[in-house]
Amino acid sequence: MSAKEFTCVVCPNGCSIVVDIDDDETPIVTGIQGNTCKRGAEWARQEVENPMRTIASSVSVRGGDFPLASVRTSRPIPLAKIRRVMEEIQKISVNAPVAIGDVVIARPAGCDTEIVVTRNVRSSS
Amino acid sequence: MNEKTSAIRTERRDVVVIGGGPAGLAAAIAAREAGCRDVLLIERDRLLGGILNQCIHDGFGLLTFKEALSGPEYASRFIARFDELGIEAKLGTIVLSLSSDRILEVSAMGGYERIEAKAVVLAMGCRERARGAISIPGDRPSGIITAGAAQNLMNLENIMVGKNIAILGSGDIGLIMARRMTLEGAHVQAVFEILPYSSGLPRNIQQCLNDYDIPLFLNTTVTEIRGAGRLEGVKVAQVGQDRSPIPETERYVPCDTLLLSVGLIPENELTREAGIVMDAVTSGARVDDAFMTSAPGIFACGNALHVHDLVDWVSVEAAEAGRRAALFAAGEKNESQRGIPVKPGEGVRYSLPQSVSGEEDFTLSLRVTAPWRNRAVVVRSGEKIVARKMARRLHPAEMMRIDVEKKNLVGCTSLGVTLE
Amino acid sequence: MEYNAYSQYVSPWKRWGDVPFHYDVLIIGGGVVGCAIARELSRFQVKTAVVEKELDVGFGTSCRNSGVLHAGFNYTPGTLRAYLCVKGNALMDELCRDLKVKIRRIGKLTVALDKDDEATLHRLKAQGDANGVPGLELIGGARMRTIQPGVEGALALYSPSSSILSPYALTIGLAENALDNGAHFHLGQEVVSIAQSAGSGWRVGTASGDSFTAEVIVNAAGLYAAEVCGMAGIMDYHIYPCRGEYYVLDKRLNGTLNALIYPAPKKNSPGLGIHLTPTVDGNILIGPSAQYLDDPADYGCSACVMEDLRREGQNLLPDIRVTDYIRSFSGNRAKRTPPSVGGNADFVIEDRRDKEGFINLLGIESPGLTSSPAIALMVREMVEKHVVLRPNPSFNPLRQGSALFFSELPSEEKADLIAKNPNYGEIVCRCEKITKQEILDAIHNPLGARTLASIKYRARASMGRCQGGFCIPRIARILRDEFGFRPEDFLKSGASSPLFVGNVRPAEAGAHR
Repeated sequence: MSAKEFTCVVCPNGCSIVVDIDDDETPIVTGIQGNTCKRGAEWARQEVENPMRTIASSVSVRGGDFPLASVRTSRPIPLAKIRRVMEEIQKISVNAPVAIGDVVIARPAGCDTEIVVTRNVRSSS
Repeated sequence: MNEKTSAIRTERRDVVVIGGGPAGLAAAIAAREAGCRDVLLIERDRLLGGILNQCIHDGFGLLTFKEALSGPEYASRFIARFDELGIEAKLGTIVLSLSSDRILEVSAMGGYERIEAKAVVLAMGCRERARGAISIPGDRPSGIITAGAAQNLMNLENIMVGKNIAILGSGDIGLIMARRMTLEGAHVQAVFEILPYSSGLPRNIQQCLNDYDIPLFLNTTVTEIRGAGRLEGVKVAQVGQDRSPIPETERYVPCDTLLLSVGLIPENELTREAGIVMDAVTSGARVDDAFMTSAPGIFACGNALHVHDLVDWVSVEAAEAGRRAALFAAGEKNESQRGIPVKPGEGVRYSLPQSVSGEEDFTLSLRVTAPWRNRAVVVRSGEKIVARKMARRLHPAEMMRIDVEKKNLVGCTSLGVTLE
Repeated sequence: MEYNAYSQYVSPWKRWGDVPFHYDVLIIGGGVVGCAIARELSRFQVKTAVVEKELDVGFGTSCRNSGVLHAGFNYTPGTLRAYLCVKGNALMDELCRDLKVKIRRIGKLTVALDKDDEATLHRLKAQGDANGVPGLELIGGARMRTIQPGVEGALALYSPSSSILSPYALTIGLAENALDNGAHFHLGQEVVSIAQSAGSGWRVGTASGDSFTAEVIVNAAGLYAAEVCGMAGIMDYHIYPCRGEYYVLDKRLNGTLNALIYPAPKKNSPGLGIHLTPTVDGNILIGPSAQYLDDPADYGCSACVMEDLRREGQNLLPDIRVTDYIRSFSGNRAKRTPPSVGGNADFVIEDRRDKEGFINLLGIESPGLTSSPAIALMVREMVEKHVVLRPNPSFNPLRQGSALFFSELPSEEKADLIAKNPNYGEIVCRCEKITKQEILDAIHNPLGARTLASIKYRARASMGRCQGGFCIPRIARILRDEFGFRPEDFLKSGASSPLFVGNVRPAEAGAHR
């Protein structure tokens, strides 16, 4: 049994939420205090049981006016999957031109998200 | 056979916006939408977007677009509107001088020009404090770089600055880079913060440090830099109440890179050159509720006015400045530096605008001096409360905004802002 | 550490393998003195080379000082320092004009703060007169304050020939003009062995395995001069490095100081005391401090000295704000006097009798910069005793290439330049307003020096308030586009000071990125 404290990020109130956790193989929330609303409680539970994150990185671009195109996940992925998703991002390379919204990897590491381009890169010729 | 040309091409423009980042873009768009057909935006880089171009992480636009966009995406929304309106931008052009009567001299590969503007919007953004500014003792090896410069190199130039990183300063840019470098295979040893609290958002502490088990040491600073050619390590020590290092706590942290995230300073060389009155706390111009500076027709907004944390507020502020600039250029009467001073008081580090007309509603932006819980921001005219806003959580790193209605300003001669 | 971009910088001569290079005169040390000697010798048809351990000239003491030209009243008559300082000072106008080096004859007030100081000033005036210092005057408070409004004190020694110049511009200018006129520069070559050849002449070996032979060696190795002596079997000397730390202040304060203002010197102080020095570029320097060290290459900055400098600076100029401190740096004096003795010893400039063809210079600390052209003349006379000096008919004293600073030109000239060359229209260093063309000129320097410090000393990029935050990524892009630099090839100044570790994503094969 342990307790973890979070500063909730759902709204600017930034409530300090304390979560009691049953530390088995998979942490399970057994109690939540300090939140002012239900959204905060849900968020805190998620943070313990299955934290989700968005990540941003770059992919290599061939023949573009920039060497890299910035990319991000279109929907959050489990924190635990970040390494594997990064490995896939680091491997690929795309050809210019690329536009904001272009999908460069669908379902990276089996996650329900896409890696999408977030910067327009024109062809350098 | 070169004839010396003494005539420099001179243009007359209505509204000139200096800077093509989020502030400049929003100001130019607003000026155009307010009816000014002759708006010119000047940007020194080869593309629009400013600092957003290197901020590839998301979290931009939650208020403006209800989406969590990356910096380049947020910029592209404004650039699209900018292009749709057909506003002119001079890229790769830098303003070398600005006079108080709004004459600019600009330099670009295409030539050197003089521009006479009816109204100017200052949107030059800000720069980072460097090592020399904070006097870290020790050797002078390579491997010491500001977090923003490292971000630029990484995201725009495809250059990795180091492998074994220590970060001084827990502001958001340092935290963001901690995560970015970790994801790209670097080992981030720790973040050191001299204050007793982090100056970054709690979300970033969690998602940039805790997620990756990167420790944050508060009340700690770098006391010495060691390294002959390339950085080899830093000495860190805890600091006391007076922020002086406590020698017995000193320890050595081997690393090959020190990222500095130790403060942003509004870029105001042009502002000072034009003789505009500055605010010593913000390091930006003093403005009224029309965002006009002490020089008639010169407006300021964005990070050049005061360092922001949410780009959405930059856009809102800049839009107002741009709108006012357009009105000024169209000849609307505008008493410079409207009369009622607004002074920050107990608990408030600064508030902006520094003066108001009292004849319009306005929004006050402010920052508090220290983290607080459950306090109210109170705007008073003498004893009378003119506006009050309760907040559960206040932090120096998070700019606050409070609306003030003109109906409460009748008979006011000065205003004070305090925390209660 | 696996970083090694050293290969980018080794001089082009390296491709000859370990074939010895023969010269008439080999100068060890590419500081202002070594380069001045090289330039002087390049007036003659004599094969001259400078061997320098760093990757550029001047990286030792020559680029790390106040840039002050002294008048010559601080030195005992009859000493080399007195004679060479006055002579060198007088040569500087023509030299700086020919080499396109910025110089400002702003004059100096040496101020008496108490009765002892007043006596000192009288002594210095007499000494200066004996040394032939032009224009020296003792002046009172009123006259002092017409020169520098607000200066405290009732008596000062005014020396109009005291001046400021850019010490790195001078060192680089001398080197480039010498190179232009036929001298060779071997950069990144550290001398490790010196032996007398059978017969006459010398053989010099370097750390990279190259060797040079020469009739005459000139030891101008500054902080390492005693070490070089030791290699040649001369054990008479010891150099004690004495570090001076400085602060550089923001150009906001430009115009505050019209002249050099020094306190009257105190006896046995190893330096001239902490003072404020304006620079030709509009900054103000606080310093230097004085601290004896063991390591001649220890260019660090210490917390207590920085605190002293800030306090002294604040006393001298109350207007200084916290935001005005933009950088600290330090330089090491090559002193012959040990810490127990302090003060200064005279220059050693000798043509060794016990070692035929070994011209030895040691302890060239202040006024070394001022004396440099006069030292070069003196050394030339010594060289003449060993090597026939026939004039070089194609000697051109004028430094080629551009040394302009775009930001200093009037608007009309700026417009003109951009119209002829668009690279003058793109600003790379925002704080100092340095254009792309100036950066390109700096990168394409004839010595082939390509470190960031080399660009800095030539173009002033990264010397402003943001200290490279804005320009370094842009310079990186230029070096990549112009020279195909990979990230590992960027060096700060020394061979083991790489700025970056690699790419984020593999660079496109063949492309510049």
